[in-house]
Amino acid sequence: MAIIKDVAELNPGQCTGCRLCDIVCPSGAITMVTRRAVIDSPLCIGCGRCVDRCPEDIMWMSERAKPLEKTVLPEEVDQRLVTALLDKAGINPRVYVCVCTLTRASEIAGAVVKGAANLDEVSEMTGMRSGCGIYCVAPALRLLQAAGADISPAKYHRWYPCTVSLWDVSDAARASYPDAFIDEDRIAFDPTNERVRMEPFAPVSPSKKNAHRRATELASRAREPQ
Amino acid sequence: MTAHALALMPPAFMPSQYGPRLRTHVATLPWLTSVSVRELFPSFDEPLTEGDPRDLDRVKAATRDALSNVDMSKIRADSSVNILASEHGFGLMGGWPYAEMVKTIREVVVERTGCRDVRLRLAIYRGFREADEVREHFGFDKAFDGLVEGLGPFDRGVEVQTVIGSMYLVQRAFDANRFIHAYYDDPREMYFNRLLYKSFKSFCMSYARFETRSVYHSLFGNRSGSIIPRALFDSCYVQKRYAFSSVLRTSPAGVIGIDATDDLYAIDRRITEGHLASYGRMQRLFGTIEDCVAVWDGGRWGYYLHAGGLIFGVLLQNRHDCFDLDIPVTSGLMQIQPPMGKRTLRGIVINQAWVGAGIPYQTMPLTTPMYLVGEEQAKLWREDSANPLVIDKAIVVDDVEVGVAMALERGKTDKVIVFDGSYGHVTCNGPMAELLRARAHSVDRFVEDELLPKWLAQRGLR
Repeated sequence: MAIIKDVAELNPGQCTGCRLCDIVCPSGAITMVTRRAVIDSPLCIGCGRCVDRCPEDIMWMSERAKPLEKTVLPEEVDQRLVTALLDKAGINPRVYVCVCTLTRASEIAGAVVKGAANLDEVSEMTGMRSGCGIYCVAPALRLLQAAGADISPAKYHRWYPCTVSLWDVSDAARASYPDAFIDEDRIAFDPTNERVRMEPFAPVSPSKKNAHRRATELASRAREPQ
Repeated sequence: MTAHALALMPPAFMPSQYGPRLRTHVATLPWLTSVSVRELFPSFDEPLTEGDPRDLDRVKAATRDALSNVDMSKIRADSSVNILASEHGFGLMGGWPYAEMVKTIREVVVERTGCRDVRLRLAIYRGFREADEVREHFGFDKAFDGLVEGLGPFDRGVEVQTVIGSMYLVQRAFDANRFIHAYYDDPREMYFNRLLYKSFKSFCMSYARFETRSVYHSLFGNRSGSIIPRALFDSCYVQKRYAFSSVLRTSPAGVIGIDATDDLYAIDRRITEGHLASYGRMQRLFGTIEDCVAVWDGGRWGYYLHAGGLIFGVLLQNRHDCFDLDIPVTSGLMQIQPPMGKRTLRGIVINQAWVGAGIPYQTMPLTTPMYLVGEEQAKLWREDSANPLVIDKAIVVDDVEVGVAMALERGKTDKVIVFDGSYGHVTCNGPMAELLRARAHSVDRFVEDELLPKWLAQRGLR
């Protein structure tokens, strides 16, 4: 759960309409109306990126009268669908996708199952990206992609569809970089292996043959057409 | 507190709007002292500098010497060239050695090739105004005739086809005929990059869009992620523009030289060997610390502040041998949090540090008592969206000594280590100094005889 304490505000009379705040807003809270930025306060997740970006220094953060709680609770969505989506994307449900808000992959998948259609909506529903705004993006895009959402590049480079994962590395690429621990990490991060889920820190020394077989199986599943 | 020789002062650092107003360094406190890393590990080479700006002539001379053998034939007089610099270089020893290398690269390129269109591209992390602060503080506008621009993860991207699929770099980094990879070898979060092709990391971080950075951190393991920067570096898009690399070489003792060539793989092999031998020793020494209080006292994010050349983040992972590639996961960054074992870190006192980097501060206040010095700093943390829990859990104190005393008492420890940006020495109190001195010799032998051969063999270097 993300606790959103602050909200962005601006002096609209001095806005030049440069759109830079809109481009970096992670939750779609800023729109341009007659060449001026307008903030939809309930959608703002308080990251402050617009304030830092504004070249005119006409934006600021204010404390919300009451903090917003952004979360998708497990009981809100069918957990069988959540599990299936995570499995298809090859993402462990227990990992923190957003370490700034401690939002787990299962909650991000829950937002997608609940109906989030793009990155902005995932962020708005979960509060993901309210911190650094960087490291959580690819897993969210991958889950959207696995659900069949259109993740083609958003207008004004808000995001690009970059979702390559450990499971997508081709045999040819693996051969080009034989010292990249692809097979070994596919075993170590196998999200369907209960032991790996619970104890990912023990050395894993599977036979090369079994490692490759298992890795190939997982990679094929991740590459299944929508 | 036991009386010792006074602590050495750490390098002066850059003022920034992302941190509090600069305050007096903790190292001035009479109960702190300094332990020389070359006293701990005599095998470390004598450095060119520990960051003193008076040593910059040596850095300039070393850069010129290293560049003298570099093939610059790809750069013509009518070329445009981007020198790509990355922000953490400006957090090393106050940033001046790295800045000097960057300026000297420009001088030599102009002299050797006749090219005048040599631009500096400053890759920053997250704050959109960091680049302006850096260009002003280090005098880059003058050195580059005003041809200086920042770039960051939210800037317009360019799609690059790689052997593992499409990735996105920042367009502005590559908007010249050629680029020069002007890097530094600080291992930083060594439990995450595992010293596997670290010299390439900028290609999926500093020069990359946030989606690419996220793929590197979140959709690969911390061993297999090493394929991403290499795939980007080896791509046609990058190779078509690549001129050469120049890397500021360090050890925990300080800057030890400059390595420059167009063969980045060769540089990486040299860096990896050197780091395993030097930073590996310091890391394992830190791994023997059972309990301590840490103080943040520098002009960067607390996580990346150095003590004896190692960042604070290493202290969080010191139970694991991060260089042992048989261990699949040593970082809790985007994976499940690793078990920490006996809790080493008993408290953190923040005298001065930047806000804005969430990792791992979000969980830290839940597990480790934190003490913020001063209301001005508390206000910065209160407004920091990347760390919403810190201000809820931390205790605000008026004075750093009060914070340290509270942390020691609550943490039931007598040892203090200060992360103040120091290379060459560790700023600490008497009990910590005694521990480091008492254990260094056995760590030295253990690394030399057992760990180093294994680490090198795992990387195909022996």
